[in-house]
Amino acid sequence: MSDAATAMVQTEASSKARRAQPEAAAPRGRLARYLAAHKDGPTFFILPAIALLATFIIYPIISTLIMSVTNGNGVFVGAQNYIDIIESDRTARATMNTVYFVGASIILQLILGTAAGIVLNEQFRGQAIVRALTLIPWVIPGIVGAMTWAWMFHTDYGVINYVLSSWGLIDEPVRWLTNPTIVLPALTAVNVWKMFPFVAIMVLAGLQSIPVSLYEAAKVDGATFRDEVIYITLPQLRPILASITLLLIIAGVNSITIIYAMTKGGPADRSLITSIQIFVEAFQYFNFNQASALSVLFFLVSTLFIVAHIWLDGRRKER
Amino acid sequence: MKARSPWVYLPVLILLAITVVPFFWMIVSSFKSLAELYHIPITWLPKQATLANYQKVLFDSNVPRYFWNSTIVSLGSTIVALIFATPAAYGFSRFEFKGRSVWQMLILMSHLLPSAALIVPLYIFLGYLNLLNTLIGLILVYLVLTLPLAIWMLTGYFKSIPVELEEAAIIDGASRWVILLKIMLPLSLPGIVVIFLYSFVATWNEFIFALSFANDSSVKTLPIGLAEFSTEYDTDWGAIMAASVIMSLPIAAIFLGLQKVFVGGMMSGATKG
Repeated sequence: MSDAATAMVQTEASSKARRAQPEAAAPRGRLARYLAAHKDGPTFFILPAIALLATFIIYPIISTLIMSVTNGNGVFVGAQNYIDIIESDRTARATMNTVYFVGASIILQLILGTAAGIVLNEQFRGQAIVRALTLIPWVIPGIVGAMTWAWMFHTDYGVINYVLSSWGLIDEPVRWLTNPTIVLPALTAVNVWKMFPFVAIMVLAGLQSIPVSLYEAAKVDGATFRDEVIYITLPQLRPILASITLLLIIAGVNSITIIYAMTKGGPADRSLITSIQIFVEAFQYFNFNQASALSVLFFLVSTLFIVAHIWLDGRRKER
Repeated sequence: MKARSPWVYLPVLILLAITVVPFFWMIVSSFKSLAELYHIPITWLPKQATLANYQKVLFDSNVPRYFWNSTIVSLGSTIVALIFATPAAYGFSRFEFKGRSVWQMLILMSHLLPSAALIVPLYIFLGYLNLLNTLIGLILVYLVLTLPLAIWMLTGYFKSIPVELEEAAIIDGASRWVILLKIMLPLSLPGIVVIFLYSFVATWNEFIFALSFANDSSVKTLPIGLAEFSTEYDTDWGAIMAASVIMSLPIAAIFLGLQKVFVGGMMSGATKG
């Protein structure tokens, strides 16, 4: 039986015991009194869920920590796994790729997403359905987007090369997913396409919380649409854009599906990012201890961004 | 409100082209024969629409089984998450206790935690429990995705229900559990439906856990099963596109049927606490 199930059974058993207690006699002993007093309290509402999460999140994190300082036989090796993985060429390559992939994605997602959000905030026929259709790339399974783009990127029969060459923009077919210098930008484009709709809807929400009076005052002063965007819309959007950026970083470092499905990190690790490297170290090279060390480092960096996001978002929503 | 100008339709069309054209191409390609797929010049609509790809996917591949596996895993994980999240969300929304905000922050953190950080230890853990390559194992690890999401969203929903509605029952001496089941659950049914769908979509689309923990063909889910149409030398793009369409249908149906709820929910989540 899993730890979680065991924990549940124990909770159930103890809660039964508790219910029986008060009928028998006035509660005696510290534990019995505690249970009687808390029967209707928060503990037993929250405990089962916390126990499950602890089993599948806290416990794995602790076991990763242990594995990261031991070798395959469970012998303590200190920081050796960390040293090995940090010095590995693959890690350097993957780190650079991650920074490029996440950085370039975010910049383009913010630009495209903000533009799309502003468009969706305008009045036009079919606004509701256009808003929904905009979200489609974000909702549809990542693997479906990945396979569709892989087919469109096909060197010989892909629609993208076909259109580009029939317009005379390229002389020979571009090897989008196998050319080492093109593969990462191509994958970045797919990632931008998948995530910018999310930015657009968030920006739309931000736009609708801007007081209309600001625009009315600007109108009175004779402001143009361009002035409105630069002097009202963008400054008002800044807080929400900041917390979206952190969310995009968190999502970006974990965007495994698109890259793995389209290139598996290749050619020659040219599109390998850290989250995929963890998978590769573990399941292709069967080096679980170094993969654990990498997981710990990855976890620490992500936690930094997660904490920053929660802090920033809390501050923004308080206002 | 700004005046309507016909110029607004130009950016709207560009936006739609970016988001929708790839799906149009997926659908068009799924109805083309192999000969037409590998033919230059490319045809924008199938010259002779064929159902051969769909026939292959539905009757001559493992896709129906993977569809079934995906359904079981998504439903299972979503239902288990809701069973555990409901009392937890009630606890967070209705009780004052020491450390509540810390626990809530930990829930939110686990919701945002990148799954790549957990694949190695969860693989070892599932192996230890003999749950690798089982649907139960996948349902359990998917709780990492669904449970924090459900607790977080449901807590917000419960908070929006006035406490006064419970007070009469409390005065009558009803226990908190009875109140949760008899008063809160019926009132929050719309919210629970939305959370159910969110969580279903998240697990239906999940890739890396499924790839790491379930690669036996008896337990593969759809996202992993798609890879079966390509070998090292050859890829059956027609079948992949048809399978992609089939895989997208439930999600598209859920989303387009409830687009107001989805878009509205995302937007209020963006600006409210």
